[in-house]
Amino acid sequence: MQRSAPFFPITVQDYQKLVDDYDTWMFDCDGVIWKGNMPTEGAAEVLTFLRSKGKKIIFVTNNPTHSRETFKKKFARMGVEVAVDEIFSSAYASAVYISSVMKIPKEKKVYVIGMHGIEEELKEQGISVCGGTDPADNTLELVDTEIGNPSDVAAVLASWDSSINYTKLSKAFQYLTHNPDCAFFSSDDDLTYPVEGGVLFLGTGALSSMIRYALGREPVSFGKPSKTMFECIAAKHKIDPSRTVMIGDRLDADIAFGKNCGVATMLVLTGVASLADVSDIAPIMPDLVIPSIGDLRILSHSTS
Amino acid sequence: MSVRLSSPEEYAKLLDQYDTWMFDCDGVLWHGDRLIDGALDVLRLLRERNKKILFVTNNATKSRRSYKGKFDQLGVEANVDEIYGSAYAAAVYISSVMKLPKDKKVYVIGMAGLEEELRNEGVSYIGGTDPADNTLEPFTLENFTLDPDVAAVVCGLDTRVNYTKLSIAFQYITRNPGCQFLCTNEDSTYPSANGLLPGAGAISAPLRYALGKDPLSIGKPAKTMLDCIQAKVHFDPKRTIMVGDRLNTDILFGQAGGVSTLLVMTGITQETDITGPNASPIIPDYITSSIKDLSAAK
Repeated sequence: MQRSAPFFPITVQDYQKLVDDYDTWMFDCDGVIWKGNMPTEGAAEVLTFLRSKGKKIIFVTNNPTHSRETFKKKFARMGVEVAVDEIFSSAYASAVYISSVMKIPKEKKVYVIGMHGIEEELKEQGISVCGGTDPADNTLELVDTEIGNPSDVAAVLASWDSSINYTKLSKAFQYLTHNPDCAFFSSDDDLTYPVEGGVLFLGTGALSSMIRYALGREPVSFGKPSKTMFECIAAKHKIDPSRTVMIGDRLDADIAFGKNCGVATMLVLTGVASLADVSDIAPIMPDLVIPSIGDLRILSHSTS
Repeated sequence: MSVRLSSPEEYAKLLDQYDTWMFDCDGVLWHGDRLIDGALDVLRLLRERNKKILFVTNNATKSRRSYKGKFDQLGVEANVDEIYGSAYAAAVYISSVMKLPKDKKVYVIGMAGLEEELRNEGVSYIGGTDPADNTLEPFTLENFTLDPDVAAVVCGLDTRVNYTKLSIAFQYITRNPGCQFLCTNEDSTYPSANGLLPGAGAISAPLRYALGKDPLSIGKPAKTMLDCIQAKVHFDPKRTIMVGDRLNTDILFGQAGGVSTLLVMTGITQETDITGPNASPIIPDYITSSIKDLSAAK
């Protein structure tokens, strides 16, 4: 199979072609727009420039711990104005899927392993939740691991949870094993995520593996690279995939996501991936590679 | 093809053929804290016939001493020397096979039983039941200093597992050069008093998947457990039988050890696991519904 190597834009003309070719620009956040709490240099300027050219901007993040409102505030702290409608997190995608695709009956609940942000998104879609931040489930004492009527819970949703514990794991496992119709979802499958100093922390995929291993069953996962996130975006925004580019720092999440959705893919090197990861024998190859989204300023400087 | 035992003659023949009887405990002798009907009689029968009895369990939450306490409580005769738990096997492995230097330590995800066995083998450890690690406060790098003396992580069933302990273990395996990753056993579930719940294999899963690397597993079906037993007990594999309820631990263990295997149906294995389209490729030598059936040999 003929594969073309990634293209590395260098000249003003190269960058101008990107602006000509793509009307919708989807950005991963961590490692692209910011790293931890530090904004990528030039990110705000580039986003302003793209908006001035009438481009549609979408932010696509696997981070399930914040609601979109909280993300909006994080953007604002970095000097970037965004609308809540432009933000798609795996928490939001989970909630939209469960309410609008699975169409969970109103009287049924979702047992959540996760934090305040994902609960907020679920509740906003009118979904009843149990578990999650409920103090009764946030304990290392095994006071009450018994579940009520298993058929009350129609789905278990596993997400990143800094207070994950055996009570939550036991309850989730029992809901899934006592009720054969109970659906099993995870917000995303990221095994690790980078924090400062190049150190890796355990992600949702690592935590949900405790249930997956016990159960012998894989969840339906909403985060990148799953197409579900794109289906949520396409349900809310009119997008032409042939004129859309996905920009991210992770080959296995962002670039694979872009390929699953049939859009162009652009890798930046300000996050997880390095130049060494880009080769024509790598299993996943981006269409484009630029060092940083800040490099798009070459256009805003040349047109001013 | 397995032999489905049914006649008294078949059971009597089994008793004649095998001198050493290895028993899994959970799902074979007891369910949680309740003895399985007939288990006591059968064990007495075997002792009357001068059979050697060994208890081989993957449960790493108890030390052998604690297990003896459980046997005593249930009125079952047992000596500490007859009990082989994966916590004990892990401690022996670390001290005598890995030969962990005395100035090195192990980071533990596990409970008091595992810690007791490590202490008994002179292995230094941190983590485990240490209150500092048993918190639901968020784990941050500010609260954590890497100890360069941690040379291995050992993970067993921990019903107080949390993000902090998993994270610390992950930091050690990824950032201490040469740090070993061990697990006491890989059982996906374990039979609690309230039914099946996530087992030790589930507890170590985050590390396994985040690392993209399997741990060295000590308990059944790994040979390590058998090596531990053979180092302490002499038995003739041709006249030894392993009795268990789980195909991918007990029966596989018996097969790897070259002993005969007897599956009981009082535990985790269902009829659909041994017959039909989804039958396991692991075939025990003998099958019987319960250990109680062996009383027919009297």
